Amino acid sequence: MLSRIALRSAAARQSATTALVARGSASDVAGVRDEKNFPRPVRGEPGKVRLGFVPEEWFQFFHSKTGVTGPYTFGVGLATYLFSKEIYVLEHEYYTGLSIFLMVYYATTKFGPKIAAWLDKEVDAVESNWNEGRVQNIKDLEQAIEEEKTAQWRAQGQELLIQAKKENVLLQLEAAYRERMMNAYTEVKRRLDYQLEKSNVERRLAQKAMVDWVVSNVTKAITPDQEKQAIDRCIADLSALAAKH
Amino acid sequence: MAFGDYPKEYNPAVHGPYDPARYYGKPDTPFGQLKLNEIGAWLGRRNKTPSAFMGACSRAWWRWQHKYVQPKKVGMAPFFQLLVGSMTFFYVINYGKMKHHRNYKYH
Repeated sequence: MLSRIALRSAAARQSATTALVARGSASDVAGVRDEKNFPRPVRGEPGKVRLGFVPEEWFQFFHSKTGVTGPYTFGVGLATYLFSKEIYVLEHEYYTGLSIFLMVYYATTKFGPKIAAWLDKEVDAVESNWNEGRVQNIKDLEQAIEEEKTAQWRAQGQELLIQAKKENVLLQLEAAYRERMMNAYTEVKRRLDYQLEKSNVERRLAQKAMVDWVVSNVTKAITPDQEKQAIDRCIADLSALAAKH
Repeated sequence: MAFGDYPKEYNPAVHGPYDPARYYGKPDTPFGQLKLNEIGAWLGRRNKTPSAFMGACSRAWWRWQHKYVQPKKVGMAPFFQLLVGSMTFFYVINYGKMKHHRNYKYH
């Protein structure tokens, strides 16, 4: 138990010291990433050269002191010095070098641009090949966003449609309600008409029965005497009329 | 510091990704900005161990690589530089033999 604690504390102490050592110099005690003095390296354009291989900076170094022709003057002067003092020895390899230089110069000027164009095309092809998946992915995602927006627009249309459908249902309900109201009205009117017709018929029948009853009773009440008297009276009236005319 | 290790001044937390063309120690005055009488002291301050010399060569190599070889669309310049450099190098190491081919006795 105790030995384990001792081991652990020793390990902790050791890791602290190694961490301190790994931190390095005192200037970066904080251990924060220094983006200003140590920016992430970027892949730049190739450096400029003159005469095929001499760095442009060497010419710039001369410009402030000797002007634009200075570096060339220096180069020619140095070559002349080396040749004239025979520090540079013109042995047989020098002439071989001259002929090789002519061949290299001809090949570079004749085929260089074509090869450069072809290689640049290849470089672009490789780069676009590597980027293809990413670009395609971005394009797909953008298209998905567009489709999502269209879908949202359509969903808004659906809301409108549903509202219209609700209104339609309300209209149907209204129509059904009015139809039933009309139905109730006509039914009630029909029943009332029936009652009216029925009472009319009853009254007519009663009237007719009453008239029949009165007439039959009256005819029944006429005795033979009365009939005889009436006929006599009629005859008398007729004779009176006949006497007048 | 053994073979293949990063320089001991390099701290990934501060410096970010390792740039093999860069010196991560405390920078001295650049050689081009010295006065003539300061050159002696400047050379005295240099670390002249073999590992420091190899580190300087390595940084120069990677500086050349980053500037002329590693860009996306390079021309023929690095190849011509290699050609001229190797020509000069072999001329210098063979200079003792070339000297006997001199044509003129007096200059």
